[in-house]
Amino acid sequence: MMFKKLIAAALTGTMVLGTAATVSAATEVTFWTLNTRQEAVEPIVEAFNEANEDIKVTAAFYDTDGIKDACKVAASSDSLPHMWFNWGGSLGQFYVDNGKTYDLTDYANENGWHETYSAGALNLCTLGGQLCGYPTSYNVLGVYYNKRIFEECGIEIPTSFEEFEAACAALKENGYVPMAAAGLNGWHVMRWVELLVEHYAGTELHDKMNSFEESWNNEAVVQALAKYKEWVDAGYFPDGFLTADPNDTIMSFGSGECAMDLQGQWYDGQLLQNELEVSNYGVFAFPSTDSSRMSAFAEMTQFNKNLSEEELDACVKFMEYYYCEENVAEYGAYYNLPLPKDGAKAPEDQLNVDGMIETSNTNGTFTITDQAFPTEVADALFNAQDAIANGEMTPEEGAANIQTAIEAYQAK
Amino acid sequence: MKKGKKSNFGAYAFLIPAAVIYLSVIVVPVFYSLFISLFKWNGVSDREFVGLGNYVNLFTNDPTFLIALKNNLIWIVLTICVTMTVSLGFAVILNKQFRGRTVFRAFFYFPCVIAPIAVAIIWRWIYNPNIGFINQFFKAFGINYKQTWISDPKVSLYAIFIAALWQGIGQPMILFLAGLQSVSPDVLEAATIDGAGSVRKFFSVTCPLMKETFVMVIATLIVAAMKVYDVVQGLTGGGPNNSTQMLATYMYSQTFQYNNVGMGTAVACVMVLMMMVVIVPYISFTAKEK
Repeated sequence: MMFKKLIAAALTGTMVLGTAATVSAATEVTFWTLNTRQEAVEPIVEAFNEANEDIKVTAAFYDTDGIKDACKVAASSDSLPHMWFNWGGSLGQFYVDNGKTYDLTDYANENGWHETYSAGALNLCTLGGQLCGYPTSYNVLGVYYNKRIFEECGIEIPTSFEEFEAACAALKENGYVPMAAAGLNGWHVMRWVELLVEHYAGTELHDKMNSFEESWNNEAVVQALAKYKEWVDAGYFPDGFLTADPNDTIMSFGSGECAMDLQGQWYDGQLLQNELEVSNYGVFAFPSTDSSRMSAFAEMTQFNKNLSEEELDACVKFMEYYYCEENVAEYGAYYNLPLPKDGAKAPEDQLNVDGMIETSNTNGTFTITDQAFPTEVADALFNAQDAIANGEMTPEEGAANIQTAIEAYQAK
Repeated sequence: MKKGKKSNFGAYAFLIPAAVIYLSVIVVPVFYSLFISLFKWNGVSDREFVGLGNYVNLFTNDPTFLIALKNNLIWIVLTICVTMTVSLGFAVILNKQFRGRTVFRAFFYFPCVIAPIAVAIIWRWIYNPNIGFINQFFKAFGINYKQTWISDPKVSLYAIFIAALWQGIGQPMILFLAGLQSVSPDVLEAATIDGAGSVRKFFSVTCPLMKETFVMVIATLIVAAMKVYDVVQGLTGGGPNNSTQMLATYMYSQTFQYNNVGMGTAVACVMVLMMMVVIVPYISFTAKEK
């Protein structure tokens, strides 16, 4: 009896130790990303964990603004996950400035990332002199339009600013809302406003303004904001657009209520997710006076500064699996394609993507304003958009307010 | 005598777990917040002591804070005047004997169990200028009236308040119902015999006898009004152009979006001080009553 008890105890002990050994052997890494990609990420994580017994990835999901806040809170309490989705520009820069991100420069050199990833994407992920993230997408924004509506109204793709305005007038006359816009968080309306700034300021001044080398309180910004107000008053945006949710523009655009929406190349994937026929929609670069540059931004996965060597390898291994060709082929609608790799192509059913990337290479790009600006300055622009639309502020006051916010930020 | 002292120590020992939790999750964070409100800090880097600079800046150099403060005060007034009156009205009606009373009680309490962010989503669609219920309702009756509701800074705060009212009447209604049921029928009967009418009975007998209920309802409504966040964030995010900014939404923006943690906690401390103005008299009043 005693012997049996000893055997049982020994076996139990072995099992416990064995389990503990198995658990401790697995490198556990956490990953925070957008909930719009959840349907792809969940099965990918599951498959990865099954295929790699020595690594356990745990994913958590947030909405667009939620992930920005969650990461900042985590950074404050030094509890950032091992890897997290982030954008380039000021959003990614915050973690670099505060020493929270792993500098991947050496790792990239040792592993030949420069031969694999596009130079543009690596540049946008290089902030403060360090490669601060694994590049996951390179996005450019263009004007999506409904081909049927354009045809019905006899509108050709506008090639000049004047033609664009004429197209808006024709659409309005035919009972359509020319441009989808949703200002709940400010950034969707900003996409139109920044193109007006690009149009009136030109490329050189716009770039200098975005890097705060030139003041925003200038005639070009005033003209841009005045034109925006003119469009609002003309009914070129939907009623109540100032507090509309940007996630809902696909409803007004897909239903044919709005004829145009300003979106990135990921929109093809969203159209497919919503069972809309991509071939019914085309894209053109907003025809600004200068060179019709498109706004662009990078997305990346940032790695925690405190990663051990094993954790870093596990994170990169997971990222490479997440962005492998098989997964991209299977879950294409949940990626911002093409991948930021040399020679990468979009899936065949995403008809507009390759053309947009090609146009951006020809026309050039500028950094999207809410990535060029710190949040409080971006909010000053968003407030100016709201106030000008509602007639509470003049374009002159709007330009002055933005510059005041920039100066306040610089004085911090 | 000795026995009594021993048992007191034993009682204090039983308080230790609760005291540890209370101190660690309430008292310490409150004082820590007060402490960091005296610094300029982005939440990650080194702190710079600025004394009362954040508070001075809020009251003298921050128009958004003043808008938020004004909006919170408007919200408190609306809550006391409208939410309390409506919930009391419903409680009085639902306190009467009639067929289906329980169903109606559940029906009017139901919005209270919905998460505020879900309430915001529901009302976002109700207020949609093109396909929303309200504008479509007008249209169905041939009324040519179109309002952008939450996008119009003149009405957006009140539009959000209506959404909050829809959700918020359930809780005070239940408290008032409990208060109404505690009023002795004998007293009401005596008042009837003395010739008092329904209105007179309500204001001269029922209301005074429900004084404690009123104090509790008013205090909880004011505290809730000071903290209002979810429904505003979900419907307008404090916009357009800060017209619906509240202290809680502004505190969140300062702390988590602008990385001005010192400033954000200063806003939080102002909120706490304003709530203390309500809570302390409330506690002292109820203590006196006992």
